[in-house]
Amino acid sequence: MDERDLALRRLTYRLFVDRGRAPTAGEVAAEAGSTTADVEAGWRRLHDAHALVLNPATAELRMANPFSAVPTAYRVQAGGRWWYANCAWDAFGVCAALRVDGRIETSCPDCGEPLAVDVRDQRPSDERLLFHCLVPAVQWWDDIVFT
Amino acid sequence: MNLFRSEEHVTRWLGEREPGATIPVTTLSRLAHEWWGDRLSPEWKPRTRDQNQAILDRLGLTGSFWRLPGSSLTPPGRERA
Repeated sequence: MDERDLALRRLTYRLFVDRGRAPTAGEVAAEAGSTTADVEAGWRRLHDAHALVLNPATAELRMANPFSAVPTAYRVQAGGRWWYANCAWDAFGVCAALRVDGRIETSCPDCGEPLAVDVRDQRPSDERLLFHCLVPAVQWWDDIVFT
Repeated sequence: MNLFRSEEHVTRWLGEREPGATIPVTTLSRLAHEWWGDRLSPEWKPRTRDQNQAILDRLGLTGSFWRLPGSSLTPPGRERA
Protein backbone atom coordinates (compact mmCIF):
# COMPACT_ATOMS: atom_id res chain seq x y z
CA MET A 1 0.00 0.00 0.00
CA ASP A 2 1.72 3.18 -1.15
CA GLU A 3 1.55 6.62 0.46
CA ARG A 4 -1.07 7.79 -2.02
CA ASP A 5 -3.48 5.05 -1.00
CA LEU A 6 -2.70 5.51 2.70
CA ALA A 7 -3.59 9.20 2.33
CA LEU A 8 -6.83 8.33 0.55
CA ARG A 9 -7.69 5.89 3.31
CA ARG A 10 -6.93 8.48 6.02
CA LEU A 11 -9.12 11.05 4.30
CA THR A 12 -11.95 8.56 3.81
CA TYR A 13 -11.93 7.58 7.48
CA ARG A 14 -11.68 11.21 8.61
CA LEU A 15 -14.70 12.20 6.56
CA PHE A 16 -16.62 9.15 7.78
CA VAL A 17 -15.98 10.08 11.42
CA ASP A 18 -16.49 13.84 10.92
CA ARG A 19 -19.83 13.37 9.17
CA GLY A 20 -21.06 10.28 11.00
CA ARG A 21 -21.73 8.48 7.73
CA ALA A 22 -19.87 7.07 4.76
CA PRO A 23 -18.67 9.73 2.32
CA THR A 24 -19.31 9.30 -1.37
CA ALA A 25 -16.43 9.07 -3.82
CA GLY A 26 -17.41 12.51 -5.09
CA GLU A 27 -17.22 14.00 -1.60
CA VAL A 28 -13.79 12.50 -1.02
CA ALA A 29 -12.62 13.71 -4.42
CA ALA A 30 -13.80 17.24 -3.67
CA GLU A 31 -11.93 17.21 -0.37
CA ALA A 32 -8.78 15.74 -1.94
CA GLY A 33 -8.81 17.91 -5.03
CA SER A 34 -8.88 14.82 -7.23
CA THR A 35 -11.51 13.14 -9.37
CA THR A 36 -14.28 10.71 -8.53
CA ALA A 37 -12.66 8.17 -10.86
CA ASP A 38 -9.34 8.49 -9.03
CA VAL A 39 -11.04 7.96 -5.66
CA GLU A 40 -12.97 4.96 -6.95
CA ALA A 41 -9.79 3.42 -8.35
CA GLY A 42 -8.01 4.02 -5.04
CA TRP A 43 -10.91 2.57 -3.06
CA ARG A 44 -10.75 -0.52 -5.27
CA ARG A 45 -7.06 -0.97 -4.42
CA LEU A 46 -7.83 -0.46 -0.71
CA HIS A 47 -10.68 -2.98 -0.98
CA ASP A 48 -8.33 -5.52 -2.55
CA ALA A 49 -5.89 -4.88 0.32
CA HIS A 50 -8.70 -5.41 2.90
CA ALA A 51 -8.30 -1.81 4.13
CA LEU A 52 -11.99 -1.08 3.48
CA VAL A 53 -14.89 -2.86 1.82
CA LEU A 54 -16.89 -1.75 -1.21
CA ASN A 55 -20.35 -2.85 -2.23
CA PRO A 56 -19.99 -5.74 -4.68
CA ALA A 57 -22.08 -4.10 -7.39
CA THR A 58 -21.12 -0.45 -6.94
CA ALA A 59 -18.20 1.74 -6.03
CA GLU A 60 -19.84 2.78 -2.75
CA LEU A 61 -18.37 2.10 0.66
CA ARG A 62 -19.87 -0.85 2.51
CA MET A 63 -17.47 -0.91 5.45
CA ALA A 64 -14.72 1.28 6.78
CA ASN A 65 -14.04 -1.27 9.46
CA PRO A 66 -15.10 -1.24 12.20
CA PHE A 67 -17.74 1.23 10.94
CA SER A 68 -20.56 0.08 8.70
CA ALA A 69 -21.87 2.31 5.95
CA VAL A 70 -25.27 0.63 6.10
CA PRO A 71 -27.66 -0.13 8.96
CA THR A 72 -26.87 -3.34 10.85
CA ALA A 73 -27.98 -5.16 13.98
CA TYR A 74 -25.18 -3.49 15.96
CA ARG A 75 -25.76 0.14 16.94
CA VAL A 76 -23.11 1.94 18.93
CA GLN A 77 -23.41 5.23 20.76
CA ALA A 78 -19.96 6.74 21.04
CA GLY A 79 -18.39 10.15 20.74
CA GLY A 80 -21.75 11.92 20.74
CA ARG A 81 -23.17 9.95 17.80
CA TRP A 82 -24.86 6.71 16.89
CA TRP A 83 -22.93 4.41 14.56
CA TYR A 84 -23.55 1.10 12.90
CA ALA A 85 -20.93 -1.61 13.33
CA ASN A 86 -20.49 -4.63 11.10
CA CYS A 87 -20.67 -7.19 13.90
CA ALA A 88 -20.19 -7.57 17.66
CA TRP A 89 -16.41 -7.45 17.31
CA ASP A 90 -16.64 -4.23 15.33
CA ALA A 91 -19.16 -2.76 17.78
CA PHE A 92 -16.50 -2.80 20.48
CA GLY A 93 -14.11 -1.69 17.75
CA VAL A 94 -16.03 1.54 17.21
CA CYS A 95 -15.33 2.53 20.83
CA ALA A 96 -11.74 1.37 20.39
CA ALA A 97 -11.18 3.32 17.17
CA LEU A 98 -12.73 6.49 18.56
CA ARG A 99 -10.95 5.88 21.88
CA VAL A 100 -14.05 6.66 23.89
CA ASP A 101 -16.52 4.86 26.12
CA GLY A 102 -19.81 3.91 24.53
CA ARG A 103 -22.97 1.84 24.50
CA ILE A 104 -23.72 -1.09 22.22
CA GLU A 105 -27.29 -2.06 21.44
CA THR A 106 -28.32 -5.21 19.61
CA SER A 107 -30.47 -8.27 20.21
CA CYS A 108 -29.74 -11.90 20.96
CA PRO A 109 -29.85 -13.71 17.57
CA ASP A 110 -31.51 -16.69 19.29
CA CYS A 111 -34.34 -15.21 21.34
CA GLY A 112 -34.51 -11.70 19.91
CA GLU A 113 -34.41 -10.07 23.32
CA PRO A 114 -32.63 -6.69 23.36
CA LEU A 115 -29.04 -6.66 24.56
CA ALA A 116 -27.32 -3.49 25.68
CA VAL A 117 -23.81 -3.26 26.98
CA ASP A 118 -21.90 -0.21 28.09
CA VAL A 119 -18.19 0.02 27.42
CA ARG A 120 -16.26 1.85 30.12
CA ASP A 121 -12.48 1.98 30.13
CA GLN A 122 -12.50 -0.78 27.51
CA ARG A 123 -14.55 -3.13 29.69
CA PRO A 124 -18.11 -4.33 29.03
CA SER A 125 -20.69 -3.62 31.73
CA ASP A 126 -22.32 -7.05 31.38
CA GLU A 127 -19.59 -9.67 31.59
CA ARG A 128 -22.01 -12.60 31.30
CA LEU A 129 -22.51 -12.16 27.57
CA LEU A 130 -20.82 -14.45 25.07
CA PHE A 131 -19.42 -13.85 21.60
CA HIS A 132 -19.79 -16.55 18.98
CA CYS A 133 -17.73 -16.48 15.80
CA LEU A 134 -19.16 -18.91 13.26
CA VAL A 135 -16.54 -18.62 10.51
CA PRO A 136 -12.93 -19.80 11.03
CA ALA A 137 -10.24 -17.13 10.69
CA VAL A 138 -8.86 -18.68 7.54
CA GLN A 139 -12.18 -17.92 5.79
CA TRP A 140 -12.98 -14.47 7.22
CA TRP A 141 -12.20 -12.60 4.02
CA ASP A 142 -13.78 -15.17 1.68
CA ASP A 143 -17.08 -13.34 2.26
CA ILE A 144 -16.49 -10.54 4.74
CA VAL A 145 -20.10 -9.39 4.77
CA PHE A 146 -21.28 -12.89 5.79
CA THR A 147 -18.43 -13.19 8.31
CA MET B 1 -19.99 -12.64 14.82
CA ASN B 2 -22.72 -12.13 17.35
CA LEU B 3 -23.39 -11.52 21.03
CA PHE B 4 -25.54 -13.99 22.94
CA ARG B 5 -27.13 -14.07 26.36
CA SER B 6 -25.64 -17.46 27.29
CA GLU B 7 -24.20 -20.71 25.98
CA GLU B 8 -27.73 -22.13 25.86
CA HIS B 9 -28.74 -19.40 23.41
CA VAL B 10 -25.66 -20.05 21.26
CA THR B 11 -26.43 -23.76 21.07
CA ARG B 12 -30.07 -23.21 20.20
CA TRP B 13 -29.21 -20.62 17.55
CA LEU B 14 -26.64 -22.93 15.96
CA GLY B 15 -29.12 -25.78 15.57
CA GLU B 16 -27.59 -28.22 13.11
CA ARG B 17 -24.82 -25.88 12.08
CA GLU B 18 -21.19 -26.61 12.84
CA PRO B 19 -20.20 -24.53 15.89
CA GLY B 20 -17.48 -21.93 15.51
CA ALA B 21 -15.80 -20.49 18.59
CA THR B 22 -17.39 -18.95 21.68
CA ILE B 23 -15.43 -16.54 23.87
CA PRO B 24 -16.35 -14.30 26.83
CA VAL B 25 -17.40 -10.76 25.97
CA THR B 26 -14.52 -9.51 28.12
CA THR B 27 -12.06 -11.21 25.76
CA LEU B 28 -13.93 -9.79 22.79
CA SER B 29 -13.60 -6.27 24.15
CA ARG B 30 -9.86 -6.71 24.68
CA LEU B 31 -9.54 -8.15 21.19
CA ALA B 32 -11.48 -5.28 19.64
CA HIS B 33 -9.40 -2.66 21.41
CA GLU B 34 -6.15 -4.29 20.32
CA TRP B 35 -7.41 -4.88 16.79
CA TRP B 36 -9.12 -1.58 16.05
CA GLY B 37 -7.48 0.84 18.49
CA ASP B 38 -5.08 2.24 15.89
CA ARG B 39 -7.62 2.45 13.06
CA LEU B 40 -7.99 6.25 13.08
CA SER B 41 -4.37 7.00 13.86
CA PRO B 42 -2.66 9.21 11.25
CA GLU B 43 0.26 6.79 11.45
CA TRP B 44 -1.89 3.74 10.68
CA LYS B 45 -0.30 1.21 8.39
CA PRO B 46 -1.68 -2.20 7.48
CA ARG B 47 -0.55 -4.90 9.86
CA THR B 48 1.03 -8.06 8.56
CA ARG B 49 -0.78 -11.34 8.99
CA ASP B 50 1.79 -12.34 11.58
CA GLN B 51 1.09 -9.15 13.57
CA ASN B 52 -2.63 -9.92 13.46
CA GLN B 53 -1.98 -13.52 14.46
CA ALA B 54 0.13 -12.32 17.38
CA ILE B 55 -2.83 -10.30 18.70
CA LEU B 56 -5.05 -13.38 18.63
CA ASP B 57 -2.34 -15.49 20.25
CA ARG B 58 -1.77 -12.96 23.05
CA LEU B 59 -5.45 -13.22 23.98
CA GLY B 60 -5.34 -17.00 24.03
CA LEU B 61 -7.24 -17.31 20.77
CA THR B 62 -5.19 -20.21 19.53
CA GLY B 63 -5.90 -23.43 17.72
CA SER B 64 -6.78 -24.03 14.10
CA PHE B 65 -10.02 -22.00 14.26
CA TRP B 66 -8.08 -18.80 14.93
CA ARG B 67 -5.26 -19.35 12.40
CA LEU B 68 -5.28 -16.62 9.77
CA PRO B 69 -4.50 -17.57 6.19
CA GLY B 70 -0.82 -17.39 5.36
CA SER B 71 0.33 -16.85 8.94
CA SER B 72 3.86 -18.10 9.47
CA LEU B 73 3.77 -17.87 13.25
CA THR B 74 4.03 -21.15 15.07
CA PRO B 75 0.93 -21.70 17.22
CA PRO B 76 1.70 -21.26 20.93
CA GLY B 77 2.57 -24.53 22.56
CA ARG B 78 4.06 -25.88 19.38
CA GLU B 79 7.30 -23.95 19.40
CA ARG B 80 10.28 -25.96 18.35
CA ALA B 81 13.01 -26.48 20.92
